[in-house]
Amino acid sequence: MTELLLLVQAAADTTGAYGHFPLIGARAAVWIAAEVHLMFAAFVLGVPMFAVITELIGIVGKDPKYDKLSKEFTRLLVFAYSATALWGAVLVFFLTTLYPRFWGHLTQIFGLSMWIYVGLFFAESFTLYLYYYGWDRWNAGRSKWFHWSLGVLLNVWGTIVMFIANGWLTYMMSPPEGATAQGLPPEVTMWGAIANATWMPINIHRLLGNAVFGGTVAAAYAAYRFLASKTPEERAHYDWMGYVGNFIAISVFIVLPFAGYWLGREIYAYDQSMGITMMGGFMSWLWVVQAVLIGVLFLAANYYLWIGMQRIPGAERFTPYTKWMLLVLVVCWIVWATPHTLIVTREEQAAMGGQFHPFLDVLGVMSAKNTAVNLMILTTFLSFLLYRRGNKRLTVEWARQGTMVQGAMFVIAAVVVVFFGIYGYFVPDTVRIGFSVYQVLSVLACIVGVTVVDLFLTRGAESKGEIRWGQMPERSQYALFILAVTFTWLMGLMGFARSGIRQHWHVWQVLPDTSPYASTPALGYAANMISLCVIVFLGLVAFIFWLGGLAERAFSKEQPAPGLSPQPAMGD
Amino acid sequence: MWATNAKIVALSLAVIGFYTLVAHIIPQLQSEVPAQVAVGPGASPEELAAAGERIYSTVCTACHGLGTRAPNLVTDHEGLGPIGARCLARFGDRCKDYLYHSLTAPGDSVVPGFANIMPDMRTQLDANQIWAVIAYLQSQGGEITVTSQDLESAPAQTAQPAAAAVLSATTDPRELLREKGCLGCHAIDGSGPPIGPPFDGIGSRLTREQIREGILNPNATVARGYEQFAGMMPPNFGDQLTAAQLEAIVNFLAGRR
Amino acid sequence: MNRGASYYLKHPFWQAVLVLLASYVLVKWGIEYLPPALGSLVSLITEPLGLGRVNWPSAPVPRSIVVQYMLTVMVAILIYVSENEERWRRFKEPIRAVMVEPSLKNLRVALLILFPVLVGWATYQQAKGTVSAPVGLRTIHPAAPTQFTFRGRTVLLSELSNPLRTTGSLEEHYREGMRVYYQNCLPCHGDLLNGRGHFAHGFNPAPLPFDVSTIAQLSEAFVFWRIAKGGPGLPRESQPWNSAMPAWENILTEEEIWSVIVFLYEQAGVEPRRLTEEGGH
Repeated sequence: MTELLLLVQAAADTTGAYGHFPLIGARAAVWIAAEVHLMFAAFVLGVPMFAVITELIGIVGKDPKYDKLSKEFTRLLVFAYSATALWGAVLVFFLTTLYPRFWGHLTQIFGLSMWIYVGLFFAESFTLYLYYYGWDRWNAGRSKWFHWSLGVLLNVWGTIVMFIANGWLTYMMSPPEGATAQGLPPEVTMWGAIANATWMPINIHRLLGNAVFGGTVAAAYAAYRFLASKTPEERAHYDWMGYVGNFIAISVFIVLPFAGYWLGREIYAYDQSMGITMMGGFMSWLWVVQAVLIGVLFLAANYYLWIGMQRIPGAERFTPYTKWMLLVLVVCWIVWATPHTLIVTREEQAAMGGQFHPFLDVLGVMSAKNTAVNLMILTTFLSFLLYRRGNKRLTVEWARQGTMVQGAMFVIAAVVVVFFGIYGYFVPDTVRIGFSVYQVLSVLACIVGVTVVDLFLTRGAESKGEIRWGQMPERSQYALFILAVTFTWLMGLMGFARSGIRQHWHVWQVLPDTSPYASTPALGYAANMISLCVIVFLGLVAFIFWLGGLAERAFSKEQPAPGLSPQPAMGD
Repeated sequence: MWATNAKIVALSLAVIGFYTLVAHIIPQLQSEVPAQVAVGPGASPEELAAAGERIYSTVCTACHGLGTRAPNLVTDHEGLGPIGARCLARFGDRCKDYLYHSLTAPGDSVVPGFANIMPDMRTQLDANQIWAVIAYLQSQGGEITVTSQDLESAPAQTAQPAAAAVLSATTDPRELLREKGCLGCHAIDGSGPPIGPPFDGIGSRLTREQIREGILNPNATVARGYEQFAGMMPPNFGDQLTAAQLEAIVNFLAGRR
Repeated sequence: MNRGASYYLKHPFWQAVLVLLASYVLVKWGIEYLPPALGSLVSLITEPLGLGRVNWPSAPVPRSIVVQYMLTVMVAILIYVSENEERWRRFKEPIRAVMVEPSLKNLRVALLILFPVLVGWATYQQAKGTVSAPVGLRTIHPAAPTQFTFRGRTVLLSELSNPLRTTGSLEEHYREGMRVYYQNCLPCHGDLLNGRGHFAHGFNPAPLPFDVSTIAQLSEAFVFWRIAKGGPGLPRESQPWNSAMPAWENILTEEEIWSVIVFLYEQAGVEPRRLTEEGGH
């Protein structure tokens, strides 16, 4: 009833509801503005998280290396911050001019929160400037702690800003009950619209995603500086920075799928038909593409670690295992990326006796895919562990038993994962759904358990030699680039999935899209748009990084770097 | 250095290109916008019926789908078949006139056992949409006799204009409440459907100003307990009523304490 | 240069070539023949034990899958050879030698001719016209509509359940379903419910078999919708080649459709899927 009335009304007042953008059209314009803004925003929100953490490590561990790294992260931030604001402004202007009616709907509901948002922007900017430019002023004793708390404050502002913006966009996906094109019903406050069904899952998902994204881009920056460096000291520093960025990215990345799972559940709970569109409807093929991308992420990350083990004295003893880990990863990737519905010609179909391959079909279902992903996570974690263990000779007396306990944890987790994966074929799917939880829990338990044991195990361990930072073949740095590009693209793809499931609605079942661009495009078109956004983003980021280098060079010519002599080219 | 730069750019572009390629190899499905339910002159009977089905399934099934609030029209009724068959058998050529009448003046042909709750559908649909619904109802076991002439005879594509033609000049509030279909949703004198808040005691619940606001802009506020029916009340009573009529209704309702 | 086989087996380049070839054999023929062979082997043990024959069916692997798997294997091989500095250097040795070594001039020239020819041939194979239909990209299990009309009656799929499961004797419904199946479905879906009836070979897409991979994944309501609406009722994502299945609502009664569904699940020995939130592709 309301739906039809809306349709009728929408048809009547479409004139004036949409603007026109030359050449690429309104949707593409907003798409690019929103996506590039989001990528910068993700970077700007992700980097402070580990800038603050590395600074803390530097303060507590009294290691100036970390403090320097933290400052370098923050410098990237200052440049990226203005780009974020710029693209945010572009997005707002595009929305007001190209989608005025929809924008009017949002402002009517969220007006107040938009003012708060802008206000927080001021707070965030000033905190950032204080944080960055006050680095050298407040660098000792109690004032250092004051400086560090500025960094924490920066994170707080950033998180609130993101949560507010998430409120708007999750409202578009899951508006509260009773919302109409005219606005909210009187009993629903603005807060009710912000704290809607998918708000928290998106908040958490994005928080984690930002950390991963910041890590990969920072690692790519380090990789670039590594390749461009002229002195061994510089190489050593940037090799190390790339490692830290990659470490942060991958360790957070491991938990990201669980947050995604939660979001998916909430979407199903909010509106089943939306969930079906996402997983089984016209979007189902998107997950095959996603599998390809995540496979690349896993392989590139492991590849980087394995190459890196060559610069760790003592890590040679682990190299024979890498090929087996590679085998596991590749087999799992193959399983994961095997589509349920195969692309076949008429003849092949006849030979198979149907659209399904009688054997490969076994790999196409959820059980197999969950098993594959969990095994990939376990394997990547093992790579990390071996990397960490590389140059350590354990000295605790229970070293042998401890290592065996760790090994047993891995084996148990793997057995649990495989067992439920296979058993899943023999039970009805209502039971099978629960199995994925057991698999995830066993993997998480393994990760936590092994890490705890490892902390005690490596206490007082002797070093077999310092890590030879900088002695890294250039190939490894290209792996970092692949990681950054892949994750950026993955973000664009997931963004398309999230907003695409709304289909022809600006606000799901509340405000229909009656523009000429109402239909949701096919994956090919979306991929073109995503690639375009990624290229624009990476191009701008490259420019910003280049600017950073330029400023730094000009600065270091004028005055020699104070204090941190081993890295002269890194002067402040 | 330029060689390194070129390598980085080439690698990044290759990776991006590869993903784009993968996304292009797989099936390209586009999610289309469902067709809008707007029928214009020149629509064939089948198109009309199809459009009518969509309208019916969104607008009418709230009551007619359950068979409790209103009879289910598309199922068999007492062995006489669905609505199209029954209508054809009873009225023959005049079937469509009967259906039109029962959509625009539903109080005249209430099926025994059901309450008179249905509003004049002209408050909800434009004339073409009403004809589309009639075509759909006829297609249920009968034959579609709605033609494009019916459509063209009606002013095309203007939302809810037809009501103006049947406006009466009365200022008798009870008469108005009946005529405007208010009693299709609101109970009065202790009887009537519970789709909107009852008129009994409304004067003690709302001020004069609130009542007037509620008539002119019904979706601005929704009475507690009636959220599920939010948006059902037509927002165009301001166009249907003269100022005298509006004030007559407001006065009448404000007096019902 | 006369080296023993062990030299080549230990050289990363030749290892890579060997692994690539082995993977190709495994993907192209291993997937097709290994599962049935293994099944037969296992049957040698299970049959005397009275556990019956183990049947692990397989079929030729489609080209798209072969390409996908081989690409993955190639990436893995590249990762393996370049992950160790020493291995990477040795891996590049033969490639470099072919490029610059004077003694390998003939081989170099041959490769320089062969390689473009190979690329050209592959391109020609891709681009040449064939008489076969374009690659079908259908979605076999399309997203079901939330509601559909069955003989003019609007049915909500989520509220649809098999009435025969709760009324009357299942045995009778099963027998009735068998009659319906053998009168109507047999020519296409086959005597063994394996989708290989007499007419099956003439259809594209081929009729579906009824087994674990198909109806066990579906709810009865979904199956009812498919039977009632047939090929003409398939949504857009199942095009371009809609199936030849008739819309049975015009031919069978509601009870007959439900009874044949009972028959199908009983015969296939699987349970219908209950509506849950699991997705998948």
